[in-house]
Amino acid sequence: MHQPLALQPLANDPTNIMAVANNPVLWICVAGVFGVIIIQSVIFMKAARRAAPSVDMSTQDIKTSFRSGAVSAIGPSLAVCLVAIALLGLFGAPAVLVRIGLIGSAAYEVSAASVSAGTMGAKLGDASYTQSVFAVAFFVMSIGGAMWMLATLILTPLLRKGDAKIRSVNPAAMAIVPAAALIGAFSCLGLTELPKSGTHVLSFVVSAAVMGICLLLAKRLGRSWLREWGLGFSIVFGLVAAYFAVGA
Amino acid sequence: MSSITSAPTSSSTGMADFNRTTSRWGQITMIAGLLISLAGPLYLVFFGGLDIGAAQLWIAFAAVAATFGIIWIVEPLTYYPVLGPAGMYQAFMIGNISSKLLPAALIAQTNIGAKAGSKRAELAAVVAICGAAVVHLFSLALFVGLLGTWLISVIPPSVLLVTRLYVLPAVLGAVLVQAIVSMKQPRTTVFALLVSAVVVFVVLPLVPSLAMVSTAIAVLGTIMLAWFFRGAQSPAAPAIREE
Repeated sequence: MHQPLALQPLANDPTNIMAVANNPVLWICVAGVFGVIIIQSVIFMKAARRAAPSVDMSTQDIKTSFRSGAVSAIGPSLAVCLVAIALLGLFGAPAVLVRIGLIGSAAYEVSAASVSAGTMGAKLGDASYTQSVFAVAFFVMSIGGAMWMLATLILTPLLRKGDAKIRSVNPAAMAIVPAAALIGAFSCLGLTELPKSGTHVLSFVVSAAVMGICLLLAKRLGRSWLREWGLGFSIVFGLVAAYFAVGA
Repeated sequence: MSSITSAPTSSSTGMADFNRTTSRWGQITMIAGLLISLAGPLYLVFFGGLDIGAAQLWIAFAAVAATFGIIWIVEPLTYYPVLGPAGMYQAFMIGNISSKLLPAALIAQTNIGAKAGSKRAELAAVVAICGAAVVHLFSLALFVGLLGTWLISVIPPSVLLVTRLYVLPAVLGAVLVQAIVSMKQPRTTVFALLVSAVVVFVVLPLVPSLAMVSTAIAVLGTIMLAWFFRGAQSPAAPAIREE
């Protein structure tokens, strides 16, 4: 299934996204990111074990922490996998693994891809979604993620120096501006989907309703797992509704 | 949950060693992750045999920066007090921080009875994130890498077509509701929906060429309205905390 790595044209049909999205080089990069995270975890674990005695932390505490982290991650992790699988058809496995599975999150990456496709006069998923649109979207998702990492690399040393000033620049602005930016971005991107077709409206409304129900039940019944799985459930129900609407 | 206050580094050499190791290797691994994650798309753009100009990349990047630029800076600031310096290098590479890594860290801290902000809590968070990372990498490789790829190959093309066409509204509907509920800022929400509705249903049909910057316009408009009409509204700490 893998062609040689050479520079042969990736495929002739420009809307065949998967021909580009499953390029072996992308798979190698996925392996690279996995590898970096594994190496980092090993180094950090060793460092934590060495430092533990100096802060009255027993070997048992380390074990308990590791196990708690692992066990509590199972649910959220599977929830992310469900979302990722739903997006496989759009972005292909390598991009989904690195962007949605790791580094970023579905909300940001899908939004970035949608904005980026818009700048090329294209829409994700339909006939205007060519290999070039995918490549630019993937590039923009990745450089967006890189900006997050860059901000982390620059800010962490500053914050560590106890530069509390950075955090308390202006509490009112810190509370209002980010929230406004996020809700503004997601509502504009969401509403942009509506004029596309009745099925888009249906899928959007069903998904929004399922999320609303999940969040409500999570709060009423104190079931926080519903919050984690909300996005996955919403996508599945939204897609099922779209499938029946198209088939009917 | 105020600041971690690692202020006067009076702590033992043990923690000093931990800080040195995690900050050096945290930076090295994060830079490596950053470069590798960029290498894939760069390869596609330049060697993929696709006709993509530099201008297209810059325009697309600018549009996304106008949308999320503020969040790039605010998110690290917001998570720092919970994650601590070492956890920052882990979290922003592993991703899905609020839904997966923060709960993992908090549960571990509770289970060993570490006080928020203490050194023990900081170590517990780092170790818990390592545990979460192992589980996450394993389930991604298994369920998305192997099972997902297989699923795509056996799924009927008609179903695949439907997912491709309608997965975007199915993601965004839920994401919008989640954002609105977790931010708890009704006034801002009303502004955001109003501005977006005007942009999408009035401005764009009149001036289609603005499609390129529509999200940026909505973001800017919402920020300005929310700021000028902030009134006596006392919003909770920004975003992220989901409780």
